[in-house]
Amino acid sequence: MPAPYPGISMDTPADSRPVLVALGSEAHALRLIQAGFLLARERSAPWIAAFVDIGAASSAEDAEQVQVWLQEAQRLGARIQRVEAPTLAQGLSDLTRRNRAQALVLGRSRDRWPWARLGHATADELQRRGLDVEIVVLDDQRESAGTEARSIDFSAMVGALLVLAAATGLAWLVPREGSLALVLPVYLVGVTVIAHRWGPRLGVLASVLSVLLYNFLLETPRFQQAVTRWPNLLFFLLMLLAAQLMIGLLRRLREQAREVQRRELHTASLYLLGRALARCLTRDEVALTAAEHLRRVFKAQAWLLFPEGESWLVAPGPFLGAALPSPAELLTRLAHGERLGDPLEPLLVGEATCLPLPGTDRSEGVLRLLTETVHGLPPRSWELLKTFAVQIALALERLRWLEEARRAQVENETERMRSTLLGAIGHDLRTPLAAIHGAASSLLLPGDLPESTRRDLLAMIQEESERLAHLLGNLLDLTRLEGGAVQVQKEWQPLEEVVGSALGRLDASLIQVDLPERLALAPFDAALLEQVLINLLTNAQRHAPGRAVSLRAWSDPAWLHVEVADRGPGIPEAFRERIFDKFFRLPGAGEGGVGLGLAICKAIMQAHGGTILAQDRPGGGTAFRLALPMDGTAPVAPEGAA
Amino acid sequence: MNHPLILIIEDEESLRRFLVPTLTGQGYQVLCAATATEGLALARSHNPDLVLLDLGLPDLDGMAVLHELRAWSRKPVVILSARNQEKDKVRALDLGADDYLAKPFGAAELLARLRVALRHTIPADMPRPVLTSGTLRVDLETREVAQAGVPVKLSALEYRLLEALARRNGKVATHAQLLAEVWGPGGEGNTHYLRIYMGMLRRKLEPDSARPCHLLTEPNVGYRLNLDRETPGPE
Repeated sequence: MPAPYPGISMDTPADSRPVLVALGSEAHALRLIQAGFLLARERSAPWIAAFVDIGAASSAEDAEQVQVWLQEAQRLGARIQRVEAPTLAQGLSDLTRRNRAQALVLGRSRDRWPWARLGHATADELQRRGLDVEIVVLDDQRESAGTEARSIDFSAMVGALLVLAAATGLAWLVPREGSLALVLPVYLVGVTVIAHRWGPRLGVLASVLSVLLYNFLLETPRFQQAVTRWPNLLFFLLMLLAAQLMIGLLRRLREQAREVQRRELHTASLYLLGRALARCLTRDEVALTAAEHLRRVFKAQAWLLFPEGESWLVAPGPFLGAALPSPAELLTRLAHGERLGDPLEPLLVGEATCLPLPGTDRSEGVLRLLTETVHGLPPRSWELLKTFAVQIALALERLRWLEEARRAQVENETERMRSTLLGAIGHDLRTPLAAIHGAASSLLLPGDLPESTRRDLLAMIQEESERLAHLLGNLLDLTRLEGGAVQVQKEWQPLEEVVGSALGRLDASLIQVDLPERLALAPFDAALLEQVLINLLTNAQRHAPGRAVSLRAWSDPAWLHVEVADRGPGIPEAFRERIFDKFFRLPGAGEGGVGLGLAICKAIMQAHGGTILAQDRPGGGTAFRLALPMDGTAPVAPEGAA
Repeated sequence: MNHPLILIIEDEESLRRFLVPTLTGQGYQVLCAATATEGLALARSHNPDLVLLDLGLPDLDGMAVLHELRAWSRKPVVILSARNQEKDKVRALDLGADDYLAKPFGAAELLARLRVALRHTIPADMPRPVLTSGTLRVDLETREVAQAGVPVKLSALEYRLLEALARRNGKVATHAQLLAEVWGPGGEGNTHYLRIYMGMLRRKLEPDSARPCHLLTEPNVGYRLNLDRETPGPE
């Protein structure tokens, strides 16, 4: 890759005197800054970014822009200085003397008239002052790129000649008297068309040619050389000047139009990228989206690289190109500006271009681009590429923070669970243990207890130990269910059977069962569903003692529905979700139950791919609705079975 | 056989401390072993009438002990297992265990299971066996089934299913055992057949099929015919 700033010689010996960069408010100041940084690094010298305030004509906007450039320079290690002076040359020579600068980097504005480019007023002025400083004048890179050096090829030449011929033909038709005033615009139009269509060089050529044509073909007497006549000489000069002006104007117009178009394109592509990235939920999605947009905008294949220990995690998809340096090496190179000649521009690694993805507090990774052309991306698209990189980095950072927030929430939840669990165990295990311990020790006391007391104590021991066993069983069940240790043994079977075995384990006298005669078989784990029914029915009996509990079931092709409904006090709307949380008990709920039963029900239903929810029961009370999915194909009923 | 000899193979001392006095208090003779090796040795030397076997032993898997026992003895074996281990229960039952008890269990439950296990399975050639469960009466010889004195007409398959349960004399039968006995070899895997026929049987024999009192379900294990009275065994 050629050095991007041909104006700077790279082999000057080291010198401790600083490099001075003169900045204005103009847009290409960034290039001056980069050039100054590079020159200083090349010579291992410090560098200074300076702004000369000549008082006049610096708007507030300009001042702000200057501030931005100075800050940027400072970021790259420059000392910054501002001076006030009557002229730029005066200010710069003062600065140079004061800092004993070895080199002075100056820009040339493209706003100047074309003839001004031939020299550099300030540079000349400084030279005249006899400063011992190397003056580096930096041409506007963008402008030189903008002319695009169109080569004058054969077809353009022919085209230009044809246009001139047409103009001459048109001029021929003009009546002889008063000809000049009418002929001039005809040629002017022709020359302008040529300059517009085939570039300014051909335009100048065409203007000279048109003068010759006019003189040789149109001026009377025809076919005689008559350039010597002074009106013709004037015509010649006017023609050249007008053509130059026209060409200059046209070029600026075209450049502006192209710039506007380019900016519009950039804005649109950034908008599209931003919108697409905002929808991404995973790092891989970000990588995929980024790659897709980069491919479209830059015609390059892109990958996101994420450091993972000693290697890189690459997304998306198959990785093309040479192997990469280790994350430690590449990230350091990117972070310290050890790039191909430029700290702000992408680094060329192998045949691919690498850009850092800088997050707020750390690097989010590296963007790697593989272009179809050998020389990488044109420098003019780097600005947009960098903006893309920032967007991608932001998206990655957003995801990382989201993930961190989620993890923190889970940790919080786990912590909360742990403390609730400890609290519940503390209370619910200790109370029955204390009762058992107390009862047993009083039974062991010497001396006779009345028979009735003895029996009471023994009954209490039995009840409390049953309560303990129940609690432990629930805790274990839930742990196993949540840990995935329980394998759901789904078998197609009638619900009736499970209802029967569940009722067999309860005091079922107040339970009204309403099952359709021909309820379809459904796939479920009988032992687990039995537990769900037992938990729901026990709950209902506990919250509506002495009142009937209804158990109903019905099915449709996709689901088996079961409903356990009571006439208890009901569950406030706000708690209908939370009652399925572990250790959640309704405020004001009495003793008994630790708040695990419904959590177990939910875990079992989820393991089945089903649902459970609590609803208001019309007429008062709560209805728990279960839905079990009829997964797979029902087995064929045996022959002869009804 | 007034004082049956029971061998307890159980490694937890606290459980043995509960089992021994409970059983001796009910007139059983009791032998205790804390390991599988010791248990198998005692079984060989004393030939107990019933073995209470814990599945979680320190030195040898309870399943292996059962296998070893069944190699030479047809005496009843009752498994002690933790809750929620239906798979282990089914495996043990299919390996030839007679019944199981899920920990924790109470004394009443234990004694009831032991009584059932000590009954003999009814051989196919036993004369005049009649079983009753509440108002249900099953005559295995005449193949007559009556509910509350009213004869019930059963299909051949239904009767075979009822008979298979009845011959177990109150002990649990696993799905696989019932399928093999009623549908013959190749019937395995058609558990839903069994469930459908059981449903039909219940509709005919139970006053309320949603609250069965004769044909009980052991979820994920099998079925049991609830017999309230001991059937006279072979003299």
